[in-house]
Amino acid sequence: MGSAILYGLISLAICIAYFTAVDHFLMDSQGLDFWYLFRK
Amino acid sequence: MGRVAGKKLFSVMALCAMIGLLLLPIAVSLPSLAIGADAPDAVKKDGEAKVEKGRDVYYKTEGIVVGAPAPKTTDGPKDYPRYNFESRVLLWFANQQHLYYGSFVLAVPIFCMVIEFMGVVSKDKAMAKRYDQLAHDFIKISLTAYSLTAILGGVLIFTFLTLYPAFFGYLSSIFRPVMHIYALMFIAESGTLYIYYYGWDKMTTGFLKWIHLSMSVILNVIGTLLMFLANSWIGFMMSPAGVDEQGRFLGNIWHVIHTALWNPLNVHRILGNMAFGGGVVAAYAAYKFLASKTDEDRAHYDWMGYIAMALGVAFLIPLPFAGYWLMREVYAYRQQMGITLMGGLLAWLFIIQATMIGILFLSTNYYLWQALGRMRGAEKYQRYIKYLVFVLCCGYLVFITPHTIVMTPAELKAMGGQQHPVLGNYGVMSAKNGGINVIITTTILSFVWYMRGNKVSTVSWSKFGNIFMGVFFACAYVNIIWLAIYGYYIPANVRVGLSVPQVATTLSCLFFMFPLNSAMMKGAKQMGAIEWGKISVRSQYALIMLATAFTWMMGLMGYIRSSVRLFWHVNEIMRDNSPWAYTHTVGFAANMISFNVLFFWVSILFVFWLGSIGMKRAPAPVEAKAGVPGGAPQPAGGH
Repeated sequence: MGSAILYGLISLAICIAYFTAVDHFLMDSQGLDFWYLFRK
Repeated sequence: MGRVAGKKLFSVMALCAMIGLLLLPIAVSLPSLAIGADAPDAVKKDGEAKVEKGRDVYYKTEGIVVGAPAPKTTDGPKDYPRYNFESRVLLWFANQQHLYYGSFVLAVPIFCMVIEFMGVVSKDKAMAKRYDQLAHDFIKISLTAYSLTAILGGVLIFTFLTLYPAFFGYLSSIFRPVMHIYALMFIAESGTLYIYYYGWDKMTTGFLKWIHLSMSVILNVIGTLLMFLANSWIGFMMSPAGVDEQGRFLGNIWHVIHTALWNPLNVHRILGNMAFGGGVVAAYAAYKFLASKTDEDRAHYDWMGYIAMALGVAFLIPLPFAGYWLMREVYAYRQQMGITLMGGLLAWLFIIQATMIGILFLSTNYYLWQALGRMRGAEKYQRYIKYLVFVLCCGYLVFITPHTIVMTPAELKAMGGQQHPVLGNYGVMSAKNGGINVIITTTILSFVWYMRGNKVSTVSWSKFGNIFMGVFFACAYVNIIWLAIYGYYIPANVRVGLSVPQVATTLSCLFFMFPLNSAMMKGAKQMGAIEWGKISVRSQYALIMLATAFTWMMGLMGYIRSSVRLFWHVNEIMRDNSPWAYTHTVGFAANMISFNVLFFWVSILFVFWLGSIGMKRAPAPVEAKAGVPGGAPQPAGGH
C-alpha cells in the first residue's frame, strides 16, 4: 500500500509537470501566453 | 539454380520498370513544367509590346500571362447543356461514386502492404502464411474495384465534358500538364498493380518476397501521388493560386498545384481514405462472419474484421486533427469561408458531422468492449466499461450541442434568446474541442484495455507501470477538460491556441501509453487464448455501422467542402451561372448523400461477390482454432 501511494505521487508529479510543460510550450510556440488569465 | 537466378533477375527488372514508370511521367512532363520559362520567350518573339503581366491572386508574385481568362458563362446550352434534370446532381453522383471507389482502391493496397510486411517479418510460419493469404485476398477485392474506379472516372469525365464544358475546358487549360501526368501515372498504377497481383504466387519466399513487397511500396507511392494530383484540382477550385484575378494562368504550374489548401487536403484525404478502407473491409469481414456456416470460417472472419478495424481506427484517431488543420487553413485563407462552413450557412451540416464522428467512435469502443468477451481474463475490465460509457456520452453530448437552434418566435421568447441558458454554453469550440478529445482519449484507453485484456504483466516494474498509466490517463482527462473550461475565461485570440495542447494531450496518450503498454506486456502471462470467432453478433453489426457511418460522413464532408464555394466554380475567379448555383437544403443534401451511400454499398457487395469467387483460404492457425469447440485452447499469439 505504501509503495502504491509513493508510486502514485511520483506519477502525479511527472504527469503534472509534463502536461503543464505541454500547455505552456505549445501556447508559447504559437506566440500566445498560456498564463494570460493569471497575469491579468 | 539457373531458374531461380533468372526469376530474381526478372523480378528486379520488373521492380526497376515500376520505378521507371513512376519517374516517367515526371520526365515526360518536364518541358510542360517549364512552360512558364518557354512561354515568355515565345511571347517575346512577337515583340515586347505584347508581353502582359499579371499578379498571382494568392502568392502575390508577378508573372507573364500565358493563359486565357476564366470564361464568363451564361445560363444556356452553350455553357451548361443539360437534360431535363439538375446537372449538378448528376455530377455529384458521378463524383461521389468515383471518390468512394478511388478511396477504397487507394487504401486497400496500403493495407496489403502492411499485412504482407507483417507476414514477412512474422516468425510464426502459420501466422505468416495467414497474413500473406489475407493480403492476397484484399488485393483481389481491390483489383475488381480498381476496374470499377476507372470506369467511374470515365463516367465522371464524360459528365464534366457534356454538362459543364466551359468550366472543364478552363480547368483542363490550367492543369493541362498535370492531367497528362495523372493519365501516365494511372497507367503506371495499373501496370504495377497487375504485376503485383499476378506475381504473387511467383514470388513467395526470400529475396523474391522482398522484391514483391517493394512493388507494393511503389504501387502505393504511385497511388498516393495520383491522389495528390487530383487534390490539386479541388484545392485550386477552393483556393485558387497561380492565376491573376481574371483567372489567367501565369506560367507557374507549381503555384497552381500548391494552393493554400492542398497540403491540408492531402493529409486529411489520405487519413480519411485509410479509415474508410478499413471500415469497408471490416464490414466485408462482418458480413462474411454473419454468413459463416462453420466455426473455422467465423474465426477467420472475426480475425479479419479485427485487423481491418484496427488499421482503420489507427487512421481514424488522427483524422479529426487533420480536419482541424484543414479548417484552420480555410479560416487563414478566407475568414468568410470558414464562417460559412462552421458558423453560417453550412453550420448545421457540421452538427450532423459531429454526430457521425461521435457514432464512429462509439461504434469502435462498443466493438472493442464486445471483443473483450472473446478473451479469458478480460472480465476484470468489463466492470469498468460503464464508466467509459458515461465519459463517452458526456463528451459526445457536448460535441453535438449546436450553438443555436432553429426556433419559433414563441420558443425563442420562452428560452430568453437564441441560446439555451445552460446548454448554449456547450455550443462553442472550446467545449467541443474538449468533447472530441475526451472521446478520442477514451477510445485509446479502450484499445489499451483490449491489448492487455488476457494478459498479466510480469515485468518487475509492472506495479509502477500500471499506476503511472492510470495517473497519466487521469491527468490527460483533467488537462483536456481544464483547457476547455479555461477557454471561457480568456479572449478568443488566445483561446484559439488552446486546441493545440489539447490535441497534444490526446496524442501523448496515444504515443506514450501504447509503447508503455507494449513494453509492460512483453513476456506477459497469458490468462487464456483469444477465442477468435467467439464474439457477439452485435459486435459485427457495430463494424457494419462503423463502415456505413464512415461512408455517410465522407459523402457529407465532400458536400460541405464543395458547397463552401457557394456560387463559384473556382472561388472568386469563375462564377457558376447555371440555374443550380445555390446551396441545397439540409434535407435534400442528406437524401442525396444517403442515396450515394446506398448505391455504393449495393455496388461494392457485387464487387465482394466477384472477389469471393475462387477465393481460397489458408488453414487457420492455432490461435484461430482456439475458439473452435473441441479444439485445444492455445496461447494467443497476439492481437
